[in-house]
Amino acid sequence: MKFQAGMLQKLLPFLTLIGLLVFLSIASPNFLTETNLASVVRQTATINIMALGMTLVIVSGGIDLSVGAILAFAGVMGTMAMAGGQPVSVGILVGLLFGLLWGFINGVLITTLKIPPFIVTLGTMGIARGLVLLITDGLPVTGLPAGFRPLAEGSIAGVPYVAFILIVCALLTHVLLHSSKLGRYTYAIGSNTDAAIYAGIPVARYTVCVYAISGMLTGLGGMIEASRLMTGQPTAGMAYELQVIAAVVIGGGSLTGGEGSVMGTLIGAFIMGLLSNGSDLLGISPFVQQALIGAIVILAVAIDEARKRRFSG
Amino acid sequence: MLLGLDQIQKHFGGVPALKNGSLEVEAGQVHAVVGENGAGKSTLMKIVAGMLRPDGGRMLWRGEPVYFGRPADAHAIGISMVHQESLLAPHLTVAENIFLGREAMRGGLPLMDKQRMEAETARLIEEHHFPLRAGWRVDRLSPAQKQLVEICRALHSASSLLIFDEPTSSLSESETVEVFRIVRSLRERGMGIIYITHRLAELGEIADRVTVLRDGETVHNAAYSELSTEQIVHHMVGREVAAIYEREPLPPGKEMLRVDLPEARFTLHAGEIVGIAGLMGAGRTELCQTLFGITPASEGSIHIEGREVSIRSPQEAVDHGIALITEDRQKTGLALELPLRVNVTLAHVDGVSRNGLVQAAKERRVAQNYVERLRIRASSVEQLALRLSGGNQQKVVVAKWLFRNTNILLFDEPTRGIDVGAKAEVFAVMDELARAGKALLMVSSELPELLQVADRILVMRNGRMVGELPRTTTQEQIMHLAAVGK
Repeated sequence: MKFQAGMLQKLLPFLTLIGLLVFLSIASPNFLTETNLASVVRQTATINIMALGMTLVIVSGGIDLSVGAILAFAGVMGTMAMAGGQPVSVGILVGLLFGLLWGFINGVLITTLKIPPFIVTLGTMGIARGLVLLITDGLPVTGLPAGFRPLAEGSIAGVPYVAFILIVCALLTHVLLHSSKLGRYTYAIGSNTDAAIYAGIPVARYTVCVYAISGMLTGLGGMIEASRLMTGQPTAGMAYELQVIAAVVIGGGSLTGGEGSVMGTLIGAFIMGLLSNGSDLLGISPFVQQALIGAIVILAVAIDEARKRRFSG
Repeated sequence: MLLGLDQIQKHFGGVPALKNGSLEVEAGQVHAVVGENGAGKSTLMKIVAGMLRPDGGRMLWRGEPVYFGRPADAHAIGISMVHQESLLAPHLTVAENIFLGREAMRGGLPLMDKQRMEAETARLIEEHHFPLRAGWRVDRLSPAQKQLVEICRALHSASSLLIFDEPTSSLSESETVEVFRIVRSLRERGMGIIYITHRLAELGEIADRVTVLRDGETVHNAAYSELSTEQIVHHMVGREVAAIYEREPLPPGKEMLRVDLPEARFTLHAGEIVGIAGLMGAGRTELCQTLFGITPASEGSIHIEGREVSIRSPQEAVDHGIALITEDRQKTGLALELPLRVNVTLAHVDGVSRNGLVQAAKERRVAQNYVERLRIRASSVEQLALRLSGGNQQKVVVAKWLFRNTNILLFDEPTRGIDVGAKAEVFAVMDELARAGKALLMVSSELPELLQVADRILVMRNGRMVGELPRTTTQEQIMHLAAVGK
């Protein structure tokens, strides 16, 4: 019996998501429409993709507060390249590379200065945001080619491109985390860094990789965000880091490291997306939404902790 | 009768940790509780100390039924526990730790009386001749000193019953003797003492009665004078175990490791098991860490199979074919929240990967293979490392390096905190490795074990190697060299 109760708690995020879907389908006639579902996917895609990278970071026992600022930085750099005459594909690549670069910088600072990731990324959050405002003088990058719009807004048979991008990224991250050496080491580093060092694992190198991958996914998120707005906004992604971390945590990621999964994170991100969308449809104030999401984060972690406590001496 | 426990039960998530915990402690008596790891000793004691609530059974205090919902309930009637792992606040001082949770206050004011706390602590330290100061910060203390702070804390609050949970496992000989002295003096004052230990040799020093636990049940209870060590081991293990492990040394093969460092000069050959003896803090663990690249050597040279190598990180050490089975498996040996299977393959993920991807089926097969070969008791290869008993955790650490298949293995206190049966199995694996042509170095504070297992014994003192003794040496000779340096 107890075991079954444990399973139920483990599945709770998934069941919550299903429950939300069912509830919203009944409560609002506009929910289960192609337009609305496509817009849910579009609205959540950026957070979702960033959360995939954050899952790696959190499993490794780290945290990245700079993702919101990296998103803006990468988006602005990518759009500046396009505004300067580069083709769309090169612009997107530029965005990805700048995301990667910032992640790399985070990883190198964390491993060489031996400063906690919270502090390092708090610092780079300020630096990246400050620099991107400086570069753009606080003004959005405009004059982007029309060919850039489909990245966020395009669809095939009613299914948005971003849904495919998300699925591909999620699959890759899943394989990376659960089947590759990098993923294995990520869990080991997050579970017990000393044991990982004593097993002969080059911990610093893999930690840098984790932050770099997270940065690159954030760069991709930045380009999608820029495509959605059709401008490169230096103020984009404000406070996104909190939503991204919340998604990972609702999905079972542990801030002490060693725990978390791609599936969990996706569920966590969609729960937040549906809450937001559902509140809009039902005419609930966005202020209430914020409070609601805050409460869900605490509730999710409380339930997860209770489950773990029950099975330990 | 001071304390009576009658058929105490405790389950964790449906798994019984304690099925029938029974024992009776008299005032003025040292009652030893022995048993293999996972036998339920610590669980039973945590129930007595109010840290866990029992699921069944009766607890009597001076003949009256009692129930402890929290540690404060046990404190209130005079029960206190000296914990095995340090439960101290590292950033606070010795005095602040001893008074933690029961701070002395200035009459009626919400202010702490620091002078009084420091003075009382100083008095306590003085009384027992502990090498401590009231104002020292705990994070600067050695493990042994931390253990002494734990003892002070318990002494300060306990009035009737004191529980020691393996108090000597991190202590040196002289500190151990001091603990015995404290235990005896507390007994003379009429206190009841429960003493949990793995070291059966200690029982002769202090035990009046012995209770043996096995698989969560009290299986035997008698006066110590009526028991032989063989009988106790028999009750603990539930089967006959060769009390003395015999090993025939092999003719040494080619030179695998030549160490020429300021702190030690020695060679290690294929097929050899070389022991390192010394007191706590003699530099044995530090030597292992230097050879494994944790604290790289700044001068001197290390040769592996005749070639000079530089080892600046554990990664390089492993690349050169050196493995370190560390002293503290929980801290540096295992990823506790991850499954057994992951821990087994952690040092050699490539061995179960194809095209950069871990082959789950192959990994399970490899892990299962080691579970059977090393007789690791686990529900499956998916069991989390933290759910295994100490001996089985140690076997997982050994399995990790067996799978990596290094030629040189450094064992730092490989039998610390593991039970008699598991010890014999670890030694059998070490012997098997030596027979397969590996070179083994073994640090141990258990001299009888060193004498049984090692082909020759290096002795360290104050950070340096002071001599080498043949396997025919005696404990006395080793101790003399370790303490006096010849």
